[in-house]
Amino acid sequence: MARFIRNFAEKAPALVSAAVTYLKPRLATFWYYAKVELVPPTPAEIPAASQSVKKIIQSAKTGSFKQLTVKEAVLNSLVTTELRMWFYIGEIISKRGIVGYDV
Amino acid sequence: MVPPVQVSPLIKLGRYSALVLGMAYGAKRYSYLKPRAEEERRVAAEEKKRLDELKRIERELAEGDTILK
Repeated sequence: MARFIRNFAEKAPALVSAAVTYLKPRLATFWYYAKVELVPPTPAEIPAASQSVKKIIQSAKTGSFKQLTVKEAVLNSLVTTELRMWFYIGEIISKRGIVGYDV
Repeated sequence: MVPPVQVSPLIKLGRYSALVLGMAYGAKRYSYLKPRAEEERRVAAEEKKRLDELKRIERELAEGDTILK
């Protein structure tokens, strides 16, 4: 046990620096995309969002959603699934456990 | 590298509001479930105590080792 700790303490800095050099470029690409794609919406974008909602309601009223191609419909369902996943992630964060409530 | 996609504002709004709603739902449900779980634990502990008492009496009767010998 003591030898394990000593070996670990000797090897840890090398492991940490190896992990850092592996992660740095990947974190850079993640940040490059996240800065544009994962940014929360600014208040200036709310009118555009309400316009999109009106368009969706319009297409539901006139029945023009039946003219969507299957590919578009699949993409829409993927977007909806991603929205549900964000909801579950919020729930996981607030209940501080991945599966089940820890009461 | 592929340039990043401009996400539509509706999707962005939807994502972050879903996140906030999920956190609110989780917090509410947690505070709803917590007292019920404690009540259940209390009831289970009392039941266990009662059963242990009964088992003890039974054991003592079997050994013939009560005060009423």
